[in-house]
Amino acid sequence: MRYRAPFVLAASAAGLAGILSYHTHGTTLAVGSQSPAGGAGKRSAGSGAATTTPPATTAPDHTTPSSTAAANQTVTGPTVQYGYGQLAVRVTVSGGRITDVSVPVLQVAEYTSQYIAQQAIPMLKGQVLSAQSAKIQGVSGATYTSQAYDQSLQSALTRVK
Amino acid sequence: MTVRRLPTGPDTAPADPGPEQARPRVHVEHVMGTAVVLTVHGAHDGPEVGDALAGACRMLHDADEVFSTWNPSSPMTRLRRGEARLDQLDPRAAEQISEVLELCRQACSLTEGWFDPWALPGGVDPTGLVKGWAIERALAVLDARGLTAMVNGGGDIAWCGQPPDGGWRLGIRHPWVADGLACVVVGDGVRRAIATSAGYERGAHFVDPFTGEHTMGALASGTVAGPDLAVADALATALVVGGRPVLDAIRRLPDARGGGRYEAYAIGPAGEEWATKGFPFAEAQP
Repeated sequence: MRYRAPFVLAASAAGLAGILSYHTHGTTLAVGSQSPAGGAGKRSAGSGAATTTPPATTAPDHTTPSSTAAANQTVTGPTVQYGYGQLAVRVTVSGGRITDVSVPVLQVAEYTSQYIAQQAIPMLKGQVLSAQSAKIQGVSGATYTSQAYDQSLQSALTRVK
Repeated sequence: MTVRRLPTGPDTAPADPGPEQARPRVHVEHVMGTAVVLTVHGAHDGPEVGDALAGACRMLHDADEVFSTWNPSSPMTRLRRGEARLDQLDPRAAEQISEVLELCRQACSLTEGWFDPWALPGGVDPTGLVKGWAIERALAVLDARGLTAMVNGGGDIAWCGQPPDGGWRLGIRHPWVADGLACVVVGDGVRRAIATSAGYERGAHFVDPFTGEHTMGALASGTVAGPDLAVADALATALVVGGRPVLDAIRRLPDARGGGRYEAYAIGPAGEEWATKGFPFAEAQP
């Protein structure tokens, strides 16, 4: 029995047209149950992708239970060592929920050691020396080790009043 | 090819957070061995957002269950080890694997072999594309609810919906300055994904597809911005391993139907920078 992917990527003679126009569709769950899409869209769903929703459970947010939590606290968690280096997570909590997370410390030991030893860190033309000032919604550039990230984040959250 | 400059003025003061309802809602999900940050923008406090986030997270875990090469019994592991044929796997897993492998074939061709899951030890390994693919599927759940959202799996980010005030702005991590950015990039509804691959992530974890040897890559960091994160993920992986030939291959790509195209930015190990002509550098900090 042959299985064919539902979204066959049409290839031109050069083989590129399919992938260049490709948009990932979020439809079929391979495992687990599917239920009909729920909730009215607030605008038209461009790609027409159907949603699958699990039984109604809320995502387990790492929020503080206190309803009197102070507004807009930012705490940086401890620097956690892991196999390749170290990282620390900074979290902002406001009104009892996380409104921002970032990773202000990320050092991969074997990658940076040569530069530190030589004291010759290359400068880049457009560089911004503090990610905090750049008014961005996210940073592209590192796949964090989950355990280390969680350790630093959870520790930071315990310090949020 | 020019690299546009971003003025580096004095740090601005942190922005006023604004009314409570306007603050984003952030959820961190541990999946695929990393921490994926899902952010919903706008005034959303109701349970439907929690439902949407749970659905998005289910997509991430689903992809992890199918594709994890760390899990000896995942469908992908069984396939790559020759323990099962595609038609012997769970049908829905087989469908997803087929789709991903077809994408991988085309990405391999497009990068002239610098992205080659079949050249990796242990059997075909689509990991260099799966994270982006999984994130897109998770984002699609949020998108279908009409939410303005961003899903950030470390190096790989995709977004949807109405851009926040000032537009979508993403930083590319500086390879050597902690908490620094190499540059800021702008996004919109067509250019809605960005993937960065870098040697600093996990040391020498790349494989040169032509020699089979482990390598830290030709570049310190390679970034691809474009319409789809699965594709951007594969291109960025190829870019950091291959360097200049991949940048040139990306430069030669035609525009996609619908107007989007993939653009690239590369940082060399000594701080050299290259970018395709249309790479979406931000013009200036606000």
